[in-house]
Amino acid sequence: MELKQEALAGTLESSDLFIRVSPSEDPLEIAIESEVIHQFGEQIRATVEEVLAHLGVTRGVIVIQDKGALDCTIRARLQAAVMRAAGETKMDWEALK
Amino acid sequence: MKLRRSMLFVPGANAASLSTAFLFRPDAVMFDLEDAVSLREKDAARLLVFHTLQQPLYDGIERVVRINPLDTPFGRDDLEASVRGGADTIRLPKTDTPEQVQELEAAVEEIERDCGRAVGSTHLMAAIESASGVVNALAIAQASPRITGIALAGFDYVMDMQTERGDGTELFYARCAVLHAARAARIDAFDVVFSNLDDEEGFLKEVALIKKLGFNGKSLINPRQIELLHNAYAPTQEEVDYAKRVVAAAKKAEKQGLGVIALGGKMIDGPVVDNARRVLDKAAASGLRKE
Amino acid sequence: MAEDLEFYTVDPDDEDVERRDIKKLLTECGLLYEIGIEAFVVCRDGEKLVACAGLQQNVIKDVAILPDYRGGALSLTLVSEVTYLAHSRGYSTLYVYTEPKNAEFFRGCGFYDLVEMPDTVVLMENTPIGIKSYCKQLQKHRVEGAKIGCVVANANPFTYGHRYLIEQAAKECDWLHLFMVKEDVSLFTYQDRYYLAEENIQGIPNLTLHAGSQYMVSRATFSCYFLKDQGIVGKCHTAVDLLMFRNHIAPALGITHRFVGTEPFCATTNKYNNDMMVWLQDPVRGAGPALDVVEIPRTEYGGTAISASEVRRHLRSGDLDRIRNLVPPATYELLKTKYVPLVQAGA
Repeated sequence: MELKQEALAGTLESSDLFIRVSPSEDPLEIAIESEVIHQFGEQIRATVEEVLAHLGVTRGVIVIQDKGALDCTIRARLQAAVMRAAGETKMDWEALK
Repeated sequence: MKLRRSMLFVPGANAASLSTAFLFRPDAVMFDLEDAVSLREKDAARLLVFHTLQQPLYDGIERVVRINPLDTPFGRDDLEASVRGGADTIRLPKTDTPEQVQELEAAVEEIERDCGRAVGSTHLMAAIESASGVVNALAIAQASPRITGIALAGFDYVMDMQTERGDGTELFYARCAVLHAARAARIDAFDVVFSNLDDEEGFLKEVALIKKLGFNGKSLINPRQIELLHNAYAPTQEEVDYAKRVVAAAKKAEKQGLGVIALGGKMIDGPVVDNARRVLDKAAASGLRKE
Repeated sequence: MAEDLEFYTVDPDDEDVERRDIKKLLTECGLLYEIGIEAFVVCRDGEKLVACAGLQQNVIKDVAILPDYRGGALSLTLVSEVTYLAHSRGYSTLYVYTEPKNAEFFRGCGFYDLVEMPDTVVLMENTPIGIKSYCKQLQKHRVEGAKIGCVVANANPFTYGHRYLIEQAAKECDWLHLFMVKEDVSLFTYQDRYYLAEENIQGIPNLTLHAGSQYMVSRATFSCYFLKDQGIVGKCHTAVDLLMFRNHIAPALGITHRFVGTEPFCATTNKYNNDMMVWLQDPVRGAGPALDVVEIPRTEYGGTAISASEVRRHLRSGDLDRIRNLVPPATYELLKTKYVPLVQAGA
């Protein structure tokens, strides 16, 4: 999936995360800020990379401000941000599981 | 026999609520994709609910999803996310006719077949929010074997009736009609939300009323109301003692192969035993009523 | 689990009741209602307005929350909503000016410090990678040397005066970095100003031309500059813009000297030049290494310093002949073919 425009998803509220994805010519750049970065930084990054790979996103800038979100919240928010940036409205639910 | 006293509304776009609502141990949660979600967040809420449904967090709690009506641009996608995500029950808002339930049923079945979910495993629930819904309540309650309950939603209903929320007089007919429809169809009935979060006394008064009328429970928007509601529905020691004797008598009759159950020399029949079992379930779920 | 708090967007110019309530809230919170705010996100608890946050392009202003509502999730929702509002209006990163004692609040709302004018004001942005990745890009153009210069120009339009300043600066340095102001509020578009700079710096061997950015003489770093017609120059935080340069941009490129033309005409620019002496050269708590500011006297034509504002004046009066002596050929060509018809059509 190609990111065509900048998009946001999520909030800065506790247990959530705020995501900003932007198109770019360069390979993926992922920046993650989290209150629990020392404990869960690697796990968050792994989830983010997995979701992006699954959606076929290979270029773009992904900035994440995590506020202690559950794994399922991270997946949902990131998928929403990518869909919005790609202008995609038709969901392939089985692929999103 | 599943207890359905409390159904807690959880806004589908609110990640924090979705991640924590199970902590309050309601009998059911209702993840809302409809009125609680702004147009901007419809897509994100659907994804959040889809992923939350797949978590083990809500094990033991009935997971209901309120979708947008099927004649909106969101309804079908909401349904896809809910059925594929594994929702126990789909709550259809603004149900005016049995045809709407049948349309929903057909759509659910199609998705179940497509995703490999057992056909019939998704339950339905209809919310009645208008005068025509109330008038059609029985037909709605009987529209599908998947329907496990109907709920009265007060806000839209009183507007449709050109009145406003007050002491309950305005809901009198609707409550009775919805309740009768549910009982005639052998399904559950849920009362309206009580929205004044600060008025505990008013809430308890309303709960006492709907319990007496015979509602299974109530839709709630505030987790603090759950304990109050469960306590109000909890039986007294006397009720538990009596129920235990009834159930014991039923067991004894079964063991002895008797067709007739007797308690203290009086004959009791099936519904009394069912009622006693419900009393014990409630006691098991939240203890005895604290006054 | 629905809260009774309702968030929505308000256009203060169109909605009288909302504007009245916002003013009242700001007064209660000890803030002034700022003119020029295009939209507010407000929060009501039932009927009561309990919080607001204003947006002026990409700068958040007038953030107020009633004391009873502070410290909870409300502020986070408020700032999230403003971010969405800005995004829907085409603004990506947001900036906020705040007193240092309130900076912690914004840090909790996803803002990151850009620069602090000690004890006065902090400028923050709502992305953790904004300035970092910008400086990383800049570093790719770093040239090592004992004396690395920099000129920041709006060049509206590019004159012989600009050419002279840049030439002189380049002669004095091992390498010169030229930045074009990116903010598009001038008669000449950024695209044209950048093109003219490209054309007019040819032949200077030790120079890199850079695109401008929001981190330098922009609405974000220097919001009042772009409001100077409204006569509020005195309140400008020139220090913020200059410290941004000193703390981030100069170190990324190894800049040691900033060159500037003397300013005989424009009070705002003159103040900026004077402030440069202070904020780039003097010791400032927490700031990057000091730079040298070099003021180069303006080149003259016919006894008067050449200025872009004079060129614009002649352009408006259609006096192309007088412009010919003030600007390089590339500027003259573009004026003739594009801006003369434009001005005439406008008049």
